[in-house]
Amino acid sequence: MSLLDARGLTVSTRLRGEILPVIRGLDLSLDEGSVLGLVGESGAGKSMIGRAIAQLMPPGFAVTAGSLAFAGESLVGMPPARRRALLGREIAFIPQEPLTALNPVLTILQQFAEHFAHIGVRSRRERRERVRGALASVHLDGVDDLLDRYPHQLSGGMCQRVLIAMAFASAPRLVVADEPTTALDVTIQARIMTLMAELQQASGTAVLFITHDLRLAREICRSIAVLYAGGVVERGPAEAVFARPTHPYTRSLQLANPALRGPRHALFTLPEQMPGLRALSRLPGCRFAPRCPVVSDDCTAQEPLLATAAHGSACLHPMRTMAITVSGRGAPARTASQGAVLLEVTGLSKRFGGGGMFRRPSALAVREASFSIAAGEFVAVVGESGSGKTTLGRLVMGLERSTAGRIVLAGQDVTAGREADRRHRVRSAQMVFQDPQSALNPRRRVGAIVTQAMEVGPDHADRAHRAQRALALMAEMGMSPEMVSRTPSQLSGGQRQRVNIARALCGVPRLLVADEIVSGLDVSVQAQMLNLLQRLRGELDFAMLFISHDLSVVRHLCDRVLVMYRGEIVEQGPTDEVFDAPRHEYTKSLLAAVPGERD
Amino acid sequence: MPRWLRSGRVIVGLVLVLGVVACALLAPWIAPHDPDEQNLLTTLLPAVWQPGGDAGYWLGTDGLGRDVLSRLFYGARVAMTVALAAAFGAMLFGCVLAYVAGYLGGWVDWVIGRTVDVWMSFPPVILALILMTGLGTGERNVILAIVLVDWTRFCRVLRSEVMVVARRDYVTAARLVGFSHWRTVTREIVPATIPLVVTMLSLEMGIAVVVEAILSFVGLGVRSDQIAWGQMIADGREAIFQAPWNLLAPVAAIFVTVAGFNMLGDGLRRSLDVRLVEGRE
Repeated sequence: MSLLDARGLTVSTRLRGEILPVIRGLDLSLDEGSVLGLVGESGAGKSMIGRAIAQLMPPGFAVTAGSLAFAGESLVGMPPARRRALLGREIAFIPQEPLTALNPVLTILQQFAEHFAHIGVRSRRERRERVRGALASVHLDGVDDLLDRYPHQLSGGMCQRVLIAMAFASAPRLVVADEPTTALDVTIQARIMTLMAELQQASGTAVLFITHDLRLAREICRSIAVLYAGGVVERGPAEAVFARPTHPYTRSLQLANPALRGPRHALFTLPEQMPGLRALSRLPGCRFAPRCPVVSDDCTAQEPLLATAAHGSACLHPMRTMAITVSGRGAPARTASQGAVLLEVTGLSKRFGGGGMFRRPSALAVREASFSIAAGEFVAVVGESGSGKTTLGRLVMGLERSTAGRIVLAGQDVTAGREADRRHRVRSAQMVFQDPQSALNPRRRVGAIVTQAMEVGPDHADRAHRAQRALALMAEMGMSPEMVSRTPSQLSGGQRQRVNIARALCGVPRLLVADEIVSGLDVSVQAQMLNLLQRLRGELDFAMLFISHDLSVVRHLCDRVLVMYRGEIVEQGPTDEVFDAPRHEYTKSLLAAVPGERD
Repeated sequence: MPRWLRSGRVIVGLVLVLGVVACALLAPWIAPHDPDEQNLLTTLLPAVWQPGGDAGYWLGTDGLGRDVLSRLFYGARVAMTVALAAAFGAMLFGCVLAYVAGYLGGWVDWVIGRTVDVWMSFPPVILALILMTGLGTGERNVILAIVLVDWTRFCRVLRSEVMVVARRDYVTAARLVGFSHWRTVTREIVPATIPLVVTMLSLEMGIAVVVEAILSFVGLGVRSDQIAWGQMIADGREAIFQAPWNLLAPVAAIFVTVAGFNMLGDGLRRSLDVRLVEGRE
């Protein structure tokens, strides 16, 4: 008998009087001591499954059909007392945001001791000993020192270790980990994953691993279930699912991911995005049919059932899956800088803090950075959070004033940041922001947003010209013309990011500074954006400073790469050279940490 | 119909406020008597439903035989003038400083912020009384005093909102495409803060009505030949047992007006505040 067993589980919500299923007829089983990866894009309902197990549904959501059982005991409608006894003892959770999951006003020892008290360790001394043991098991150094610290004194990675230690402390039979490493840096992510695998094997705990990253799931999970629109579309042993996917969606996800090694391939993109709940509930037949590249007429006639085999999918034509391929090789990287130098940065430094009445210790965010970008060249800046890569981008844009160094942009020294420099920058460089939500004024329409640059300055144009330009930009971004009259809240995440890019490209700048512009997006949307950038590059010939933490994306898109570590550029060179033969230790550890590349 | 008009609070508040405004505007036509007409033969009459009431004087008469109801209507004129003018004045003064402080930050923000701190450390009513003593009575000076006391309320609340909005990426983006500071503030920041300003304006009008009544009550408000609710309360105090409506009528008028403004403000806040609206839908 399996430990966790879902049969036809349906979770629904009420939206304007309509009852819409978020999870539809989900079948899932997890054996004692095994690891199951639940993979899906945002909106697939993967977090809702974790919440259903905890019976902590957000208001308005409820299990409306099917069963969900833990060790033969139904979790649906379980009395609260029994549920509390199970949670924390038999079933433990590892949350997504380690920093917000710990209580900021309690020390690590206090929170841990509370947890042990909950699971029935009576004596104070024993609790303390157990806490020390648990912290040691996650390889945290200086345990004694750690016990009296508060969460804000620890890094995100350390907090996540504490939470993992807490989850495994009661020797639970099931651990549910909901995106446990998404908020962490790549190098730390790798360590956390190894740690989880280690604890899992040592204790024989079953783990339900919820993630959006197919490669990460393959690495640590024995079996994988791929989720689409609230249902499992494919499940099976991890290697088999990866090697021979039998559902077009799994295959599309795979092909949408840029590779870190081997030949570059063009990215496969699914049309549009996952339909909304309402649209889904009205869809006849297969839920994936509207986006499926190998759809046929019979797909809309009936809803395919998940095959019962060990490796099976919910598709009428699983044999067609492997027919999905991408043609083309991806953009060839330009080997040498071909154009004239567009941006020349020498000895650029930025120091924060240190002034004011209450002097705080100052910190060097960027230390003597020197690099150049040729016209038409895509240069990546990689590094973990806090390495100064965002500050570097803001310095180039003139959003921060440098402490030392020189910035020469399109033949003019703009370091001083005078009014003339600002006007020069406006003409030659533009920025695309990370969070499309905050980057678009919710009160203006898309057409007005993208042509903002033409309201003032040298490109000033009247309303008719602006409207015309807006339509041209929409066409360039692959968006339909009626989008110009929408407001940002009516757009999807991918569409918002397109508008964001369109606004920057309106005045045809020569340099685009892009700060993590694909990091918040789903894999399929990310692939759309990368393809779009490559196409635009061919048409408009602009250079880009591409700030990112995702190495495979960088390899796919950029000609050269700068590696930043603690404010310093520790290595730079053509992408292939840096990736194939990294010289600096930090670059090596970054490359080794990418999921799917570790041994 | 816009969303803010669908709220019950807004509708009730609007009805009350518009009712008072109508009384003020139509006073010459709806008042049964000249408010200054004295009839020394019928002083201190009780209201019409009380024993000894006179059908010609619905709410009775005051110590000089003037009609209370008529004076109430005319008193609404002063109350509304002060409420509108003082609230708009305080809003303009406070908001301009708030936009400057919140958007520019740095030492400008420091100077404005400290000024507000110092200003707010005076008890507001005492500050208003001192100002009135210095400025002398009169409608214009009442308005000026309220503006000078209450601009800080707008400045402090709006400044923090401006700071939040100014940090959004779309404001940076506007600067990067070449918008001047003026254009950035007027096109990107002001629209985002309008709901807050409208709400505070409505609440401030209620406050202005109260402050004007207080000042008139102690005789430091409008000129003595103008009719104000505060003065009516002061006059009615002495005859509270013979003709209670001399006192109760202006108190009720103030109560209804302030309640109207507060409900309107609260309703607008609930329906215009994006954060609250998003939470509900």
